[in-house]
Amino acid sequence: MNAPVLSLHDVRKSFGPVDIIRGVSLDVGGNERHAVIGPNGAGKSTLFHLVSGQLRPSAGEIRLGGRPIAGCSPQAINRLGLARSFQITNLFPRLTVFENIRLAVMRPRGLQYCFWRLADRDERVRDRGIALLENVRLSHRASAVAGELSYSEQRSLEIAMTLASDPRIILLDEPMAGMSREETRYTTELIREVTQGRALLIVEHDMEVVFTLSDRISVLVYGELIASGTPEEIRANPRVREAYLGEEATA
Amino acid sequence: MKTRAILLAAGVAVLAAVPLMLPDGLVNAAISMLIAALFACAYNLLCGYAGMLSFGHSAYFGVGAFATIHAMNALGGAGLLPTPWMPLVGAAGGLLAGLVAGWFSTQRTGAYFAMITLAIAELLHAMAPQLKSVFGGEAGISSMRMPAWGLTFGSTVEVYYLTLAWVLASLVLLYLLTRTPLGRLALGLRENSQRLRFLGYDVHRISVLIFALSGMFSGIAGGLQVLSNESANYVVFDTSLSAAVVLNTYIGGVHAFLGPALGAALVTFFGYAVSDLTQSWLLYQGALFVLVIIFMPTGLAGLLALAGRFVQRHGLRAAAPGAGLYLLAGACYAAAAIFLTELLQRLFSQDYRSLAQAAGAWEWPAVSLFGREWPPLGVTTWLVPATLAVLGWLFWKMAAAAVGRLRDAAPADRAPAAGAMTERRLT
Repeated sequence: MNAPVLSLHDVRKSFGPVDIIRGVSLDVGGNERHAVIGPNGAGKSTLFHLVSGQLRPSAGEIRLGGRPIAGCSPQAINRLGLARSFQITNLFPRLTVFENIRLAVMRPRGLQYCFWRLADRDERVRDRGIALLENVRLSHRASAVAGELSYSEQRSLEIAMTLASDPRIILLDEPMAGMSREETRYTTELIREVTQGRALLIVEHDMEVVFTLSDRISVLVYGELIASGTPEEIRANPRVREAYLGEEATA
Repeated sequence: MKTRAILLAAGVAVLAAVPLMLPDGLVNAAISMLIAALFACAYNLLCGYAGMLSFGHSAYFGVGAFATIHAMNALGGAGLLPTPWMPLVGAAGGLLAGLVAGWFSTQRTGAYFAMITLAIAELLHAMAPQLKSVFGGEAGISSMRMPAWGLTFGSTVEVYYLTLAWVLASLVLLYLLTRTPLGRLALGLRENSQRLRFLGYDVHRISVLIFALSGMFSGIAGGLQVLSNESANYVVFDTSLSAAVVLNTYIGGVHAFLGPALGAALVTFFGYAVSDLTQSWLLYQGALFVLVIIFMPTGLAGLLALAGRFVQRHGLRAAAPGAGLYLLAGACYAAAAIFLTELLQRLFSQDYRSLAQAAGAWEWPAVSLFGREWPPLGVTTWLVPATLAVLGWLFWKMAAAAVGRLRDAAPADRAPAAGAMTERRLT
């Protein structure tokens, strides 16, 4: 296994007396697609918030490419090469699709305090934006208002926006939530395609997606990782079956 | 695109011709309109584009004004900054004040942001009369426009053209600013600042920059007012100016670049024209604001755009009756409202009460209004506004029916039309 891009060591988070994350250690390799599964309330989203800088861990260490990032601001972590999407679609709803992608593309090009050049004139930004939209097959919707896209189109746009900074690792929080079978299959392929050559950390409830997409799976139950391994190992793990998969099977 | 360019060119031509057509008093009014228009557009960069509702924008206007008047007195219009360049000092003052105040206020968003901006403006307003050396106390500071470039700047016409040049240049710069990466980010800030953060942007720094640039253009407006008045007084820090710019901006429409300019120019003009005729001008202004907010959140600019699209789709000839009827209905409603307001204002005035007392108990002397006498208990007195209101209602019904017929006649493009009305936003 190559050197981990993201590594968590004994990360803890408590809100007052309530422990949400109780000592999670986890490594995600450079080209690895890693899924985190677990029942509702296990702390999966909290884990994402800790890694992406939305929340500050109470204890423990998070390293991105070897650099400690625990407690850094979201924008600092983004610039170190981590991009994330959100469980609830999080776009600029009243701007066009192209405007959305352009906002995502400008930052890695260093265009943020620029008030002496016209945005429309910047061909690098435009070409990169168009290329990203092509990646997720949204170029024909470029001038549509983002808030009026279909749900799966919005998720595709989300993914394109996380790719804009050419990150080393992408965090996707339940990208398939609320999708039809058809849309799920399509998006799975899309994720597989666009995450070539980078690491992926994904939280997902759809087991079919998890087991077909990921190289490794970690199971989070009540703030603790009870297992971590390849899909086969996870499927065979009795503790996982008891805690999670079995419960899912009977449900 | 082409019609827009033609309209703009025509607008500039009309503005350039104003001093040739109007007497001096009205040219002065036009100067105030231009300054208010620039101030509103500067405010809208913050409010409409970046979604930050400031309640204390008079502070940056005022700082620009005082910076300019001190520069006028200190430099005497000589050296590097002759009189026409004086608003640059106002710009610098507004920018600096905006940087400092923006750094504090943009730490928070929404209502908290608004409260901080309000507090900063109030702070200046309370401090200004105490700091006599800076703000000249109650009397304020006065100065003189010095000749420069072979112009004396002694006449209103010269001041008008100077103001016009500054306002047009500033509006062009403001517009271009909205097309730069920073301007695009302002939209992102309004739409979803959390997402910007996760895209790697320093949201606070962007907010401060936008705030400061808005302050800078407000400072230019303040400087222009000082150039025109040759004096500055601490009342420019008054809340009423902060409130006026919010009202003007929303009445004009925050979703179009020139909407606030339109609103500010119109409200300022009516302020000039009507404030001598009625004591209830502020009431009308407030009522107009409430009506706009409730019934046309996109403001006058939104209404014009709606009418424009309607004409485009159905042709001027077909659209004219409906539009005319709507105008007629609006005029009737307005007439009824104005009649009632003025009548009641007179009935409840102190003058009228003493008159009634003099006439004896249970006497209701007639009220003089619009060149006629109206007895308060007379039937006609109340029949007039009632008739006007009913007429307004009838015309409105007829207008709605006419427009509905047009829509039914062209059902194919009905759906996109409805969408277009809601989706057009600042872009």
